[in-house]
Amino acid sequence: MSDREEIRGCVILKNLYYLVDDHTWLTVNDDATVTVGMTDVAQNMAGAILHAKAKKVGTFREKGKPLATVESSKWVGPLKSPVSGEIIEINEEIIRDAQAINRSPYKNGWIIKLKPSKLDEELKDMLTGDAAVQAYRERIEKEDLKACRHVEGFEC
Amino acid sequence: MALDLTGRKYKDVPYEEKERLFQEIKKDIRFEDVLYGCYECGICVAACPSARFYDFSPRVITQAVAREDTDLVYTLMNDSIWDCSQCFSCDRCPRQNSPGGLITVMREVAVRNGLQTAREALEGYGRIIYKIMSTGTQVSPDMLQPEAFPDWGPHVHEISENLELWRRALPPETLHTTESSWAIDDKTLIELYLIWHMTGVMDMIKEVDEGLFMILQDVMEERLEEAGYEEKFE
Repeated sequence: MSDREEIRGCVILKNLYYLVDDHTWLTVNDDATVTVGMTDVAQNMAGAILHAKAKKVGTFREKGKPLATVESSKWVGPLKSPVSGEIIEINEEIIRDAQAINRSPYKNGWIIKLKPSKLDEELKDMLTGDAAVQAYRERIEKEDLKACRHVEGFEC
Repeated sequence: MALDLTGRKYKDVPYEEKERLFQEIKKDIRFEDVLYGCYECGICVAACPSARFYDFSPRVITQAVAREDTDLVYTLMNDSIWDCSQCFSCDRCPRQNSPGGLITVMREVAVRNGLQTAREALEGYGRIIYKIMSTGTQVSPDMLQPEAFPDWGPHVHEISENLELWRRALPPETLHTTESSWAIDDKTLIELYLIWHMTGVMDMIKEVDEGLFMILQDVMEERLEEAGYEEKFE
């Protein structure tokens, strides 16, 4: 079994948790913190990302509230927090060079680390594995989202 | 489906709902200053740049509202009003009508009521709205990207890559910016945010783009709090 799936060229990693509606992914780290980022589909819809501005470390955010503002040349939108928690780290690389999100949405382009406050409860609303792939496939087909184009050096 | 002039589809609603929207247009304080009556001279159409390029006529809109054609007004609210460039060339009307002003009112009603077509029409303007509301300047130099504006000439790539340097080459220091058109004074920003708060414009943004509302709310509330204001955009 492959640990990744491609839908119209957009990569979905099966080991991550997703909120498909918000185009966010999350992974639980060994120290019980979580890392959050934008999916490949989201980076593709945004186009070349110019700025990512995150809220300050120490800020507590409820699930669904913005953790960061992501700007591309014509689009701007929030990265909504998939779970409630305190911001403990911001990826300095994407602050310096926001296109890291386009190049590596699931690795070097992660956006924020959180110390979650009710992870067990809120993780139940997220999808992982084949269920996540299926949900994303349905959304992409329903909304007829354009095929993913990847910049040079893309990795996932 | 409702009468469809262009092939674009939108949701039909009961007549009472169309009537309610029409009454909201008529109740607007500006209404009596933008519509007096039309004798179909066509001067507004002749002057209108959008009419040259689209199947669009300021006269049709003025006539529909003047005749109180509720069905057609609803159709136009979902369609033609978004083709207007709001240049107000039509203000040369010999009867002192302002089709452009009438369209402003109709657009605001469409936005306030969260019409799906209004959401779609404004979708591509998210970053411009974000810029103008958060910085007070509309088009920022960093929008000059080959991907977004391939028609901005053969040097767009070179300029976008060295944007900071190009901006520093401009004589006025206030133009050494890339994220906003020029440097903005803190006092100006606070005043601007208080205006958005007083006029309720954020409620309109919330109706059409919740994500945009959220990030603007964050930016403005933080800045206002730092300056000692307690205003919240809930």
